[in-house]
Amino acid sequence: MKILGLSAHYHDAAAALVVDGLPVAAVQEERLSRRKNDAAFPLAAIEYCLDEAGLEPDDLDAVVFYERPMLKFDRVLTTLLRSFPRSYRAFPHAMKNMLGEKAWVRGIISSRLGVPGRKILFTEHHQSHAAAAFLTAPTREAAILTADGVGEWATLTVGRGARGPGGTTIALEREIRFPHSLGMLYSTFTAWLGFAVNEGEYKVMGLAAYGRPNMAEAVRKLVPRTADGAFRLDLDYFDFHGSAQRSFSDRFVQLFGPPRRPYDPIDLATAEGRRFADCAASVQLVLEDILVDIARGLHERTGLPDLCFGGGVALNGVANGRILRESGFERVFVPTAPGDAGCALGAALFADRVHFGNPDRDLADHGFWGPAVDGAQLARIAGEDGLAVDEMLIEECADDLAAGRIIGWMDGRCEFGPRALGHRSLLAAPHEEAMRDRLNRDIKYREEFRPFAPIVPEELADTYFELPPGGARLARFMSGVFPVRPEWRERLAAVTHVDGTARLQTLSRDFAPKLYDLLLAYGKRSGIPVLLNTSLNIAGEPIVCSAAEGYSTFRRSGIDVLVAGSVRVRKRATAEAAREEEYA
Amino acid sequence: MRVLLKPVQRWVWGDAARRGLRLLRFAEVEADGGRDLVRAAELTDDPRLRRLYLRHARDERRHADIFRRRGLELLRAHPAGDALAPQRDWLAPGERGLDDVDVESGKDGPLLAFLHLSERNAARDFAVYRDAVGGDEATRDVFHRILRDEEFHMNYTRAELARVSPERQKRLLWKARLSRLWKAYLRFAVALAGLIGSVVLTLQYFILLPPFAWISKRAERRAPAGWIELSPEAGRGLDRQY
Repeated sequence: MKILGLSAHYHDAAAALVVDGLPVAAVQEERLSRRKNDAAFPLAAIEYCLDEAGLEPDDLDAVVFYERPMLKFDRVLTTLLRSFPRSYRAFPHAMKNMLGEKAWVRGIISSRLGVPGRKILFTEHHQSHAAAAFLTAPTREAAILTADGVGEWATLTVGRGARGPGGTTIALEREIRFPHSLGMLYSTFTAWLGFAVNEGEYKVMGLAAYGRPNMAEAVRKLVPRTADGAFRLDLDYFDFHGSAQRSFSDRFVQLFGPPRRPYDPIDLATAEGRRFADCAASVQLVLEDILVDIARGLHERTGLPDLCFGGGVALNGVANGRILRESGFERVFVPTAPGDAGCALGAALFADRVHFGNPDRDLADHGFWGPAVDGAQLARIAGEDGLAVDEMLIEECADDLAAGRIIGWMDGRCEFGPRALGHRSLLAAPHEEAMRDRLNRDIKYREEFRPFAPIVPEELADTYFELPPGGARLARFMSGVFPVRPEWRERLAAVTHVDGTARLQTLSRDFAPKLYDLLLAYGKRSGIPVLLNTSLNIAGEPIVCSAAEGYSTFRRSGIDVLVAGSVRVRKRATAEAAREEEYA
Repeated sequence: MRVLLKPVQRWVWGDAARRGLRLLRFAEVEADGGRDLVRAAELTDDPRLRRLYLRHARDERRHADIFRRRGLELLRAHPAGDALAPQRDWLAPGERGLDDVDVESGKDGPLLAFLHLSERNAARDFAVYRDAVGGDEATRDVFHRILRDEEFHMNYTRAELARVSPERQKRLLWKARLSRLWKAYLRFAVALAGLIGSVVLTLQYFILLPPFAWISKRAERRAPAGWIELSPEAGRGLDRQY
């Protein structure tokens, strides 16, 4: 069967194509439209997926949307009614938003793709998260936990999944419903801290390491636990349910102080800066405590050794590390795209295995489902600009890194999900803080409190990092934060966060052979086979996809060397200067 | 028109906090414009244009930085009370941020015509703002520096349009002018429709919704907190939207 999964209209629109039970292609719309977090109907992503498989829309057996739009509309309307009359300003905004496009998904898909309405199916939002987490993980039976801001009504679900020759089941057994939401709790602090919601949550996590959780008790007031082990939000402190302007209430401001203005820098040397860091640390701790507690309860209920964790909250690597260490699960699987983009793949897989009852298939254990890079395109463009183009040799790249050069590294198909896992990465030596500062200043243009991640061969990870059992697996997709061993922190200064941790990626050779060889070659030169690995993009832009996009990033930033497949391009000061003069 | 608006501009730019907020908004518009130009550079097959677009994009990023820096200085010295309020797009004049340029088609002629007109327009606007900021020398200097770049942008886009489409250049410029007018009309129409929609929906909210709100609030009080058990049949049928 040929099944297309779609997610759209909120953030991270994406398309994924499953043919005969296996993913053929999956990509976020932003990678093709070049608009970060593009939520528009993912026409370019659909086109790419169909092209990759050589299909026309008529060939599809089903198109599956990742949530039920009318159920979501029901939640939006009910929430506004509940906060009547305070919601009088939010109401027109929400209705125009929902009734413009979001409520008519079947018609939109049908008209855009020309497929009949009977072929269009709808999974529930958290079913899609659960399927994306469970059906992509190398496990036959596992407990399932999903958590995000909100789907239709559910904000957090627990259940279990099983797959094998007898068929596939994904049973979500219990859920917590909106407005009680860990995702909304975290997003509210994200907004209060002056960061963009759905974008700046990882900044809160990075900032948390600089603070002390001395306001954790205050945060717990906002999210009291219920007698059955769940939680609820005290809505007196929030306004997201009744306002389109602000997610926190005046009472929230009384408790935590005035919010940060988005344009003010966070100066950790000042009391104000420390207050923000302390609040970030406090909400992070409370989030972790609740997640660990819920995961522990789930482990006791199911008795299963494996946990599959999906939803946007699963991007919180610090929490994931604690879940692995403290919940009792032996292995925790987080997919490459745990957020809404991954729901496109989850919806397609759910329809294939559960709705149509197709036989179980083992999936490739990676997330490289996007467009492939074309080295020849890079060679042509760079040649036209008079840059040095040569064949990519691992040894020369290792020399570049050892000499302190920064490499833009593109290899094979691009990643599905928000992490650069070695196919669209910036690589650099991880030893000096100066390298971190240089990356922030010349390439990433981002806040200094945000850490960079290391990448290390899987079998050597334990030498440099304190990994609990199952830690290497969690780190396969950069989903966990773990301590750097104290004796290596100084030599891994560019990737060691202020609290001595790192969000590492462990790499096996089958996952990315060229990068693996590069790590070993670099290790021979430096004595440490670890590299700094961050996404190949500039602030405000999506991760690059094609060679042309990599090249434009290379030309506009402080990247020294660009690699696309078997082609290597170096920046030459003289060539650059000549061009600049020509057009000055 | 611009002459008539001068007193309005002087009033708008007279307040330091408002000046700061507007400069921050300009920074966003410049950054957006820079991203469009980067995309144009990625899509064009013309190496000369690729280099020029990239240089232009770097200029836009620099402008964004300059606007942002000055905007922050002003806001730190004169904190704005409504700094967190959403900024409306139609308040930000200038370049491509308002105009939704069609970069993805990859056609250089129409893009150059559009860029030329946008830059010319931005240069005129910035000249007006420079004169409107009064005694604020630092802000005046910001506009002065950026205007120098705008001149280069205007000239290269015109020259390249003549190179890329020697026979169609005038037609393309007229098309771009008409397109800008059409988009201006669309923006106005959408804003007006949005306003009317908001009024109608707000009336409905207060007239039709109160009984439903009362029922909904009653139901909420009865809703249990904590875990909600799901039946094994929940979410089975995939053909429903609800």
